[in-house]
Amino acid sequence: MSRRTMRMGLAFMMTMPLIPARAQTADTQSTDQKIQQLEQKVDELDQQIKVDERKKELAEEDAAAKAQNAATANADTTGFTIKSNDGNFLLKIGADLQVDNRAYLGQGSSGGVDGMLLRRIRPTISGTVYKYVDYFFRPDFGLGNTLIYDAYIELKYLRRAKVRVGKFKPPVGLERLQSDDDTTFVERGLPTLLAPSRDIGYQISGDLLPNKLNYAVGVFNGVPDNSLTDAAVSGHRDYAARLFVTPFKGLGFGSAVDGGGVDGEPLPSYKTLGQTTFFTFASGVTEAGHRTRLTPQGYYYAGPLGILGEYTLTEEGLKKGLVQRDVAYRAWQVAVSYILTGEKKDFTSPTPKKSFDPLHGGWGAVELTARTGEFSAEHGIFNYGFASTLTSPRTAREWVGGVNWFLNRLVRVSLDYGQTAFGGGAAASLGGNRAPERVLIGRFQINFI
Amino acid sequence: MKLTGILLLTAASVSLAATVRLLNVSYDPTRELYQNINAAFAKQWKAKTGADVVINQSHGGSGSQARAVIDGLQADVVTLALSYDIDAIAEKAGLLPKNWQGRLPDNSSPYTSTIVFLVRKGNPKRIKDWNDLARPGVSVITPNPKTSGGARWNYLAAWGYALRQNNNDQSKAKDFVSRVYKNVPVLDSGARGATTTFVQRGIGDVLLAWENEAFLALNELGKDKVEIVTPSVSILAEPPVAVVDKNAARHGTAAVAKAYLDFLYSPEGQEIEARNYYRPRSKEVAAKYDRQFPHLTLFTVDEVFGGWQNAQKTYFAEGGTFDQIYRPGR
Repeated sequence: MSRRTMRMGLAFMMTMPLIPARAQTADTQSTDQKIQQLEQKVDELDQQIKVDERKKELAEEDAAAKAQNAATANADTTGFTIKSNDGNFLLKIGADLQVDNRAYLGQGSSGGVDGMLLRRIRPTISGTVYKYVDYFFRPDFGLGNTLIYDAYIELKYLRRAKVRVGKFKPPVGLERLQSDDDTTFVERGLPTLLAPSRDIGYQISGDLLPNKLNYAVGVFNGVPDNSLTDAAVSGHRDYAARLFVTPFKGLGFGSAVDGGGVDGEPLPSYKTLGQTTFFTFASGVTEAGHRTRLTPQGYYYAGPLGILGEYTLTEEGLKKGLVQRDVAYRAWQVAVSYILTGEKKDFTSPTPKKSFDPLHGGWGAVELTARTGEFSAEHGIFNYGFASTLTSPRTAREWVGGVNWFLNRLVRVSLDYGQTAFGGGAAASLGGNRAPERVLIGRFQINFI
Repeated sequence: MKLTGILLLTAASVSLAATVRLLNVSYDPTRELYQNINAAFAKQWKAKTGADVVINQSHGGSGSQARAVIDGLQADVVTLALSYDIDAIAEKAGLLPKNWQGRLPDNSSPYTSTIVFLVRKGNPKRIKDWNDLARPGVSVITPNPKTSGGARWNYLAAWGYALRQNNNDQSKAKDFVSRVYKNVPVLDSGARGATTTFVQRGIGDVLLAWENEAFLALNELGKDKVEIVTPSVSILAEPPVAVVDKNAARHGTAAVAKAYLDFLYSPEGQEIEARNYYRPRSKEVAAKYDRQFPHLTLFTVDEVFGGWQNAQKTYFAEGGTFDQIYRPGR
């Protein structure tokens, strides 16, 4: 039945009751006129229905178009993200929380105080804008401090030449470049003491050969060993370069070098695994002249086995009064780990095959770890009075063993036992050595970025 | 040495024969036009250079398309409904110089069009001219000027008519256009959507349409369903075209993109445009298709509104006259 036939029928039915009335009143309008009016009314109603349907249709099209372009919020094992539909804009909210419990064992150790502490509290905001521009911001509120650790943008228009500007880790120490949540031990090894922590500068990096040969070069304000600052102390700059080869998956080796002029920068102190100071410079000593660091480094990962090795040599000019000399420190470490539950080890933390969920047979991943390493300062440091054997040993040798329990990809519990033996001074009695430090450190950590 | 030469020649020939891809970002009703243009140009380009060219098309409301290019849609060429939208690409994204309109003949508009009325068979509401659109009980279909270039031409055509009728009295013109838009029951985002509303959904008594769009609807539906009414006066719509220089340079398509737009001015291109009911610039082709296009008085945006920049600011920008006269859902 056509729409017109329907309308006529409807008009006829609606007119039927009026016919007797027409017969009763001579001045009423003709039936044709009434049908015409009703037809018009039906047309208007028909139009109104069509308009409403079309508006609904357009609203649905609009909603579908908006949904297509809408950003998506995601929460999973990679963290919490908001991402534009085309992937060009991304916001990631992350956090790194580490709660430690330190216990110093044995007599005559370091003077460290047993207790619990918030080692790192680092909220993180990172992501991408306009597809090619990454940003990363990470302060730290751990240990009662408020510091900006990382704050940089990276332009990645060219895969082989990404440009990073801001405050970040200079391309020097291998273990330093490893993220805090990925390190095998609760505290990094002795070579990292000689590498810069964070510095402000510019860096260009990329793959010369995709996934085979990576380079990074940069210019920075220059910071003392294991340090970070927010301002340059002198007008000199540090220049850093790193080349790293990964001929096949699991094997990586390379070397980094950085150096530059120094003039009046304060000197750092060096700390043990238990984070107690074991080496300090004499009062009035400053950096003067030139500083160079050389860091050959590498790792090998095969299945659940991981080996990481690193050596750092720092040579720098020191000055005290009228005395100025170049001196050197060295540190090395070899770390071995093995994941008992069969997950593959690599430069980042493993993802357990089964997350911890005892009610459903999930126990996470368990890793055994061991590390040894040594720090040594050359005799000249003491001979020229830059440090005193009464307070600072010439060498420190550490052994660390531990276990990591990865409950899932984000949560980890670690327990490390470490012993650091000292040689060449720092004893309470003249001619002796400082007593070894033995420390047990437990950590509960959650990290997602 | 010989082998090296052969390899180089092979590489060069492979390179020469490689398929070139262009993206033409256009407005709503040009789908059919550019399907024909693209096929003809590809054939000509192949004959001329030996290379294949594939032209991808993107269509939508002109304003929305310009926004997409500004936001990163990799258009090699844009063929939009009005120059203001290409101006926006030049100014906000800097993808082409601000003097782009002077680079091709006729202000970079290879064809023109105008705004006419499409009414139902028999013209039951007796719509003859613009003043009939303001009558109570007449339902007018036109898209949203905020998103559609065609809708902005419609709006200005009505406004220009009212100025002529009221001795350039802007307040009377505003009142007139206000009464027209009071008769608009639904606003589509683009001209093609408005045609769908009128033709397929059966809504409204009159569709304000691009002339070419009206002819297409007439051909598709037949003269027993709709009729074209040509008003006494309307606006000369000059849809512009331009190479998006920075995108084309990045894609290595600058030469082919320019050739593609030049083709629109060629006798063959003009012929295709006329066949698709766009008014050609070429006098020869225009004379050939003279009977196809009704004669009416046409005014330009420059003459009546002082150019597109001024028109956009006065009528369509936030708080402009369109915002003042149109209330959604009213």
